[in-house]
Amino acid sequence: MAKKKTKKPADPHGEFRGQRTEADQERRIVIDDAARTPTVLYLGSGIFWLLVGSLFGIVASLKFNLPDWLGSSAALTFGRIRPAHLNTVMYGWASLAGAGMIVWLTARLCRIQLQLAWVHYLAVILWNLGVLAGTVAILAGYNQGMEWLEFPRFAGAMIAVGFLLFAASIIQTFRKRNVDHLYVSLWYILASMIWFPFLYVVANLGIYQGVIQAAMNWWYGHNALATWFTPIGLAGAYYFIPKVIGRPIYSYYLGLLGFWAFALFYNWNGIHHLVGGPLPTWLVTVSIVASVMMVVPVMAVAVNHHLTTVNHFRMLKFSPTLRFVVIGSMCYTAVSVQGSLESIRSFQEVAHFTHYTIGHAHLGVYAFLSMILFGAIYYIMPRLARWEWPYPGLIKAHFWMSTAGIGIYVIALTIGGWFQGVQLNDPAIPFMDVVEYTKIYLWARSIGGALMVVSHFIFAFQFVMIIKHAGPRRFAPALFRESAPMQREEREP
Amino acid sequence: MSLPFAAIIVIIIALVAGALALSAFIWAIRTKQFSIEQLNRGALLIFDDDEPVGTPQDMVFTDNSTHGKKEDEKAG
Repeated sequence: MAKKKTKKPADPHGEFRGQRTEADQERRIVIDDAARTPTVLYLGSGIFWLLVGSLFGIVASLKFNLPDWLGSSAALTFGRIRPAHLNTVMYGWASLAGAGMIVWLTARLCRIQLQLAWVHYLAVILWNLGVLAGTVAILAGYNQGMEWLEFPRFAGAMIAVGFLLFAASIIQTFRKRNVDHLYVSLWYILASMIWFPFLYVVANLGIYQGVIQAAMNWWYGHNALATWFTPIGLAGAYYFIPKVIGRPIYSYYLGLLGFWAFALFYNWNGIHHLVGGPLPTWLVTVSIVASVMMVVPVMAVAVNHHLTTVNHFRMLKFSPTLRFVVIGSMCYTAVSVQGSLESIRSFQEVAHFTHYTIGHAHLGVYAFLSMILFGAIYYIMPRLARWEWPYPGLIKAHFWMSTAGIGIYVIALTIGGWFQGVQLNDPAIPFMDVVEYTKIYLWARSIGGALMVVSHFIFAFQFVMIIKHAGPRRFAPALFRESAPMQREEREP
Repeated sequence: MSLPFAAIIVIIIALVAGALALSAFIWAIRTKQFSIEQLNRGALLIFDDDEPVGTPQDMVFTDNSTHGKKEDEKAG
């Protein structure tokens, strides 16, 4: 496959001619036009919830450093702010921004205008109202008491209906597609259209009690990543890395193998969160085995993305999209291997119930998923708005602040959390000594979080500017560096 | 609601989901999604003549901001 670099590639729709054609450009513009408003609505509302969720997050983090701060208001206590942060970031930012990316990507990959585009207006309204109502309910003290499922059922129902409307349009677009073969990104997208509604509805049935409720809770919590958030990230990575580099994915076979291995193993995960809990040992063991087996699809993705990018790393100096997406893809490997390790009982004896787990969660949702979404938005928006990002310097600021922020956050909590676990396992160490030990790491967590929050406001400012066609008009791509020496380097043998 | 009833509901839903997954797999085989020919050219689906292999897309800027408008406006 590596030899593709030196060969004239086959064109799936006729002989490769190596010339830019008006027809392809016109077709793509028509497709982008049909997807523009729904995509921008999803992305815009996602970024709004990113800001809200980030502020909840930094308040929750600072409460570890300043326990009395905002303690007099019940709505701002840790027990409410923390689930408000989690739910706004997951169902607001990551889901809505992911939905926006999926709308645009599906239309492009199916090579047809978005079908049932009107349902997205209803979906966006319902989805946003669901997140708003759920967040207000959490802050007011109404909470289902299960992690990731804190939103009251009425809010969950609104989100579920919004998702089903969104999925209906995506599936209809797929049915009307103008291509025979499904690109690997489309496999992940279509699978998530079936998996996630199934998961969300089953988890919200409200028919579980006691231990089974706990098992259902963590089956849902872990599989929300498996059935929705990870497919979003991988679909984006499989599209944007080869697209931006201008080189096909290294091994398409490996891509599909990775998808089916992912589908086979991931959904068995989740119960390993309850190691040591009152569940049948076999149930937990099955989950641990499946978690370790996730190494197979993860390595398929890691090898594929690395070998696609290899020899093109210098492009990271220029392309904001590539830099965000490659960082996200690398973090996918890291968080997945870490997750497999964390599922093992001996590892959990130390890491469970410590800050280590919080670092792991942010490595997944932020360093992997959010980074890919940032990269995707930097690619998509100029093509939809027909206006370049006005301030490349602010893209650079966004990248470095978010990368440094998540880096500090994850490293601090990984180290601090591990030694916290070691100390908690030593009965000779008083509990308050362990708390004192973690203080410095919790300050680092807040500093990292603050950097991320600032970067999000910079990102949101740029998003508003590009929608309004404000700021200086650029006639060249907004890159980290002005020169673009990579143009067409692989066109000829 | 008692556990057995919950279990029955979940098992039924799981069977439906399993059937859907199996249907998807059979559909994929019937439509030759895994044929050697399809697999060989699948990676090229994201490229076309306007955005061909060998052209880094972040490095190419096509000013579409005046698409559909007059040519003289494009110059501005």
